[in-house]
Amino acid sequence: MSDITLVIDGVECRAAKGDTILQVARRNDIYIPTLCWMEGLTPIGSCRMCVVEVEGNPKLLTACTTPAENGMKIHTKTEKLKQYRLQILELLFAGRNHFCMFCSQTGDCELQRLAIEHGMDKVRYPFLYEPFHNDATDPNIQLDHNRCILCLRCIRVCAEKVGAHTLDLEKRGWGTNITADLGKMLGESDTCVSCGACAQVCPTGTITLRDFVYRGRRNDCDDQVESICPLCSLGCRIKAYVRTGSVARVEGLSANSPDGGQLCHKGRWGLPKSTERDRLTAPMIRTGSSFREASWEEALNLIASKLGSASKAGRAGALLSELSTDEELSVVSSFFRDTMKMDKVDGFFGNMLRGFVKGFQPFADQGIRPFTGAHNILESDAIVVIGANPQEEAPVAASYIRVSTIIERAKLINLSAGKNPFDGITDADIRAALPGEMEKVLVSLREAVEGGPEPKEPAMAESARVLREAKKPVFVIGSSLAEHPSLVTEALNLAVASKAFFDDGLGVVPMLRGGNCLGALNTVIGESDWLSESELDFLYVLSTGMVDEDKRSLEAMTRARFVVVHTPFMVHPLVNMADVLLPAPAWFERSGHYCTLEGERRRMNMIVPPKGNLKGLSVIMDELAGKLGLELQPASAAPCENVYEAKSPSTSARTVSLKEVR
Amino acid sequence: MALYRAHVLICHGTGCASGGSPKVLETFREELQKKNLDKEVLVIATGCHGMCEFGPIVVVYPEGTFYSQVKPEDVAEIVEEHLYKGRIVNRLLYKEPISAQKVCHYKEIPFYGKQHRIVLSNCGYINPDNIDEYISRDGYQALGKCITEMSPAAVIEEMKKSGLRGRGGGGFPTGLKWSFCAASPGNKKYVICNADEGDPGAFMDRSILEGDPHAVLEGMMIGAYAMGADEGYIYCRAEYPLAIKRLQTAIHQATEYGLLGENVLGTDFSFDLHIKEGAGAFVCGEETALMASIEGQRGMPRPRPPFPAVKGLWGKPTNINNVETWANVPRIMLQGAECFAAMGTEKSKGTKVFALTGKVKNTGLVEVPMGITIREIVYEIGGGIIGDKKFKAVQIGGPSGGCLVEEHLDLPVDYESLTAAGAIMGSGGLVVLDESNCMVDTAKFFLEFTQRESCGKCVPCREGTKKMLDILTRITEGNGKPEDLDTLQYLGEQIKATSLCALGGTAPNPVLTTLKYFRHEYEAHINEKRCPAGACQSLLRYTIDPAKCIGCTKCARNCPVNCISGKVKEPHLIDQEKCIKCGACMANCPVGAISKG
Ligand SMILES: Cc1cc2nc3c(=O)[nH]c(=O)nc-3n(C[C@H](O)[C@H](O)[C@H](O)COP(=O)(O)O)c2cc1C
Ligand code: SF4
Ligand code: SF4
Ligand code: SF4
Ligand code: SF4
Ligand code: SF4
Ligand code: FES
Ligand code: FES
Repeated sequence: MSDITLVIDGVECRAAKGDTILQVARRNDIYIPTLCWMEGLTPIGSCRMCVVEVEGNPKLLTACTTPAENGMKIHTKTEKLKQYRLQILELLFAGRNHFCMFCSQTGDCELQRLAIEHGMDKVRYPFLYEPFHNDATDPNIQLDHNRCILCLRCIRVCAEKVGAHTLDLEKRGWGTNITADLGKMLGESDTCVSCGACAQVCPTGTITLRDFVYRGRRNDCDDQVESICPLCSLGCRIKAYVRTGSVARVEGLSANSPDGGQLCHKGRWGLPKSTERDRLTAPMIRTGSSFREASWEEALNLIASKLGSASKAGRAGALLSELSTDEELSVVSSFFRDTMKMDKVDGFFGNMLRGFVKGFQPFADQGIRPFTGAHNILESDAIVVIGANPQEEAPVAASYIRVSTIIERAKLINLSAGKNPFDGITDADIRAALPGEMEKVLVSLREAVEGGPEPKEPAMAESARVLREAKKPVFVIGSSLAEHPSLVTEALNLAVASKAFFDDGLGVVPMLRGGNCLGALNTVIGESDWLSESELDFLYVLSTGMVDEDKRSLEAMTRARFVVVHTPFMVHPLVNMADVLLPAPAWFERSGHYCTLEGERRRMNMIVPPKGNLKGLSVIMDELAGKLGLELQPASAAPCENVYEAKSPSTSARTVSLKEVR
Repeated sequence: MALYRAHVLICHGTGCASGGSPKVLETFREELQKKNLDKEVLVIATGCHGMCEFGPIVVVYPEGTFYSQVKPEDVAEIVEEHLYKGRIVNRLLYKEPISAQKVCHYKEIPFYGKQHRIVLSNCGYINPDNIDEYISRDGYQALGKCITEMSPAAVIEEMKKSGLRGRGGGGFPTGLKWSFCAASPGNKKYVICNADEGDPGAFMDRSILEGDPHAVLEGMMIGAYAMGADEGYIYCRAEYPLAIKRLQTAIHQATEYGLLGENVLGTDFSFDLHIKEGAGAFVCGEETALMASIEGQRGMPRPRPPFPAVKGLWGKPTNINNVETWANVPRIMLQGAECFAAMGTEKSKGTKVFALTGKVKNTGLVEVPMGITIREIVYEIGGGIIGDKKFKAVQIGGPSGGCLVEEHLDLPVDYESLTAAGAIMGSGGLVVLDESNCMVDTAKFFLEFTQRESCGKCVPCREGTKKMLDILTRITEGNGKPEDLDTLQYLGEQIKATSLCALGGTAPNPVLTTLKYFRHEYEAHINEKRCPAGACQSLLRYTIDPAKCIGCTKCARNCPVNCISGKVKEPHLIDQEKCIKCGACMANCPVGAISKG
């Protein structure tokens, strides 16, 4: 791959054709200052900080955009360049008003850092006192244009990674400015998905996240820990900043990974804000309408006694959050399923998952992995969204869909009962009520793709044409479809007919809400829905306290005679349902693994050590088993193992007859 | 074609048309019909002659009688006298401003004498809305020759031999540029005609598009054939509705004649051409910004490399040339490269069209051979300075150009010598300045334009030009500081060196060249708070000479801010603090006692 050689500051560097000068320099530890450049975003060469001299070329070239060429002799640190760079910094400072002592970014600011690095001790020009506006219309994101250096990172990330295209430039000359939706305030924007990616990439104090500013700047933080977001099955990688023992801010990680280092609004705000919730720090036992603190011994004794009798009567259940780690699911299920031999074990999303599993089954039976990594949406040339609302269900997947459609020009087809979640960018939009009409639509599309009669309705005909021509279509199926497993099967039939074949499986992306839904499949999810009907004497609930409980689960808790809630936070109405509360470590206090939709088992790392009188889950389960005179059995299934393993290549998939399945 | 005894060419360029030439044409038709001359005399609407100031222009052939400022009410007389009785209407002949002589024939007008009209040869002679007229003057012969007799490589070779260089400003050798695009791998390529012409005061490209649109089309087709492109765009300013209309008609007619579309003239060569209306920003004339604009993005330049020849419109190899460049192509291919290369200097071949404006007697569009001196343009074509004032400078190359002074009058106009002197050929703006022009103010005027038109993308141009302008403004208002001149020089050099595109890369030129040649003017503004040319309003002082003042009170009565005091029949005095420099006093003084300076 090293097919060219060049000399940078006297160092001979080898490089591949297509590398930029900056890439080669970085790889060889040669520092070139940059400001507008950002890993993972298209380089635009606008700040001019990275200018270098190339022998034989009278022009200065920007290292971030210029391809390295064989034999180039490059100088990056001449006196002339240093002066020019200093001048650029001065112009930036004078271009708006940069009074660092009044700026929320001071200390974290890349502009400030460069000024210090370049020994800027004065600005030769008066600052611009004509104030730009400070857009404080968004509840979370603040946009103070007086600090903007127009590096356009925000615009690029919003377009290239989030696909929202909210931000753009307005006006010309020195008054050029960032604007939302071509002239609106950010808070009024219709397209902004509040992901905060723009704030993450902004090098200055222009776009800031109000909350994070008060919790501490990056430089004030004591530690940074990489982990993952448990809130949906994409399992986005995060970097958590720790300050005085608490999570101060959460950011996306790698601009080079397909997600582009973005997080959705849930990850960005939901994760750090959860640290503000009241913590449960010790076991509690209900006395009338309130709780009293209890010892672990007392609490576990009470639980054991209730559980023992209830399970004998077959009236004990366990409801586990799919946001839990593999390890947690594994130990809890080993206790209830394998030790207590209970069959009433399920996840909060049990019904949805059962629906998917049932719909997938005919393909799993063929040895086919019935889905693919969500990032493959970016590789696709035709995307079919079926009964899904990705912006709610797995928001970063919605980014993939937008980016693929708008930038990569993939075709986008939406089939849904309600409104189109991608209004304005779809090539064909079809309304169909679930399940009957949707089934007809799916069948007739499949037939048309297979060469059957051409549908008359224009949107249907267009969809069939797109799918026939597509080389790598992908099908995003929403959780609403799982209520009707036959629709899931039919959607997969359409995928097979359209040759949606990816290396890792069929070109299908199911919208699984919980972070470890796939892990839960092996260990937790039961055969049938017992939760809705059962009159229970005992119900154990493991919650992360991060998402609101659904109505069905809350009703089951109300009906159950004795409820144990194991949760890190005093969240309502959950704790109101409890007879015993057990404290659990919060998401930032745990480590373990998640089985993500991206096809990887990703590790969640402990960000801060647990606080309070906590006990590990395996210890608790072990003690409970002991109190019931049992020995904790090893789990019969490992959560992430062999979940829909691909035994045959997706290309060998065949469509199945719905009648067979029913 | 039917044979006519006489042709009446009525200019329908933008200038003449707004002066009422369509009405003139209509009247001609009516009058000729009345006299039953309509079978003998053909009336033709043509493109611009470059003499718009004297429009509407009417030229009667075969003699080439040149009538100027013709109104509809004059038509009957021309028809009756000239076309019926054969007597020239003296009254309407063009009056030569220098000699104040009436000139009868086109070719006798000194304005055209030194010109060498190649690109403009059809402008003013043919009806641009009629493809047959273009064809009758050898139009589309070059295309036919290229695509049936020549290989694409041979066409490029011929272009290289001709020495033609880009007329859009950069002066890059056209044949070489074509060879880059031709060599780029890919089976989809584009050619683009840059008709964004955003320089204030420039109208070279507009005149070509309005007067001879088929020449541009033919040039583009030849280029497309040579480079293997099958689709083209003409990016035209939306402010040029007539040019756009003419182009639409031309494209329509060429398509009907099988010259555009699939299998041109029965060959394998196919070519589609679209018109894209510009968004009205100067920077959209920059090639990469122009392509972004065609793609529907904000018109902002991007760094090169990669060059358009490698990665252009929609990422495909693209060749972009200026209107005048394209219009030269058919002539070169028809007459041969040698013929073209015979004109001009060693490295600058052919002719260049300039928009001559400012303080010269004859203004307008001029096409001159490369290598002509500035003196010839100013004094022979332009007829010298108005009022025979003293020549001060020419600003050449538009807002991104620089100014040249007396010592440069004998400089040959070619790419190298202009650049060496600190100016640029640019797209062909040529403004003549006389002693009443303040050079600081002139530099400020151009910088005001460029800083306003900066796309805002890169720091040096966006912020730097603003800071330069602030300093210039300060100087012209009498608040300059001695160190300002060094700062201007330093900033200017930095902006030139570090800007992303040529807008920023050339924006400081007017300041840097005036600073070089007229430093004393800057110093007078800063140190003496005086504008030697008397142009900077804030530095003006109106003073009453007590020896001359007769105390008539007229000045005091006309001052809008009542800042003149004095008793009747006694010398008056202006309160400089309150004076707003409107000049009303001076205009009203009956004895010339008030002076400014
Ligand atoms: C700010 C700016 C404005 C420009 N405007 C024009 C224009 O209006 N017309 C034009 O032909 N070229 C213009 N150019 C030059 C083009 O970028 C390009 O060099 C030219 O179209 C190439 O054609 P040529 O090789 O035939 O000259 C402009 C360049 C800059 C930097
Ligand atoms: S954005 Fe940076 S440089 Fe500007 S005021 Fe804030 S900390 Fe200082
Ligand atoms: S808001 Fe921030 S990221 Fe966006 S252009 Fe301004 S400085 Fe750059
Ligand atoms: S929050 Fe996200 S969607 Fe909104 S403007 Fe910023 S990057 Fe774009
Ligand atoms: S997309 Fe899912 S995993 Fe990623 S940040 Fe949002 S909720 Fe978390
Ligand atoms: S030099 Fe000026 S016009 Fe050109 S890219 Fe930079 S800001 Fe835009
Ligand atoms: S980092 Fe290269 S121009 Fe900004
Ligand atoms: S428009 Fe008639 S001479 Fe220019």
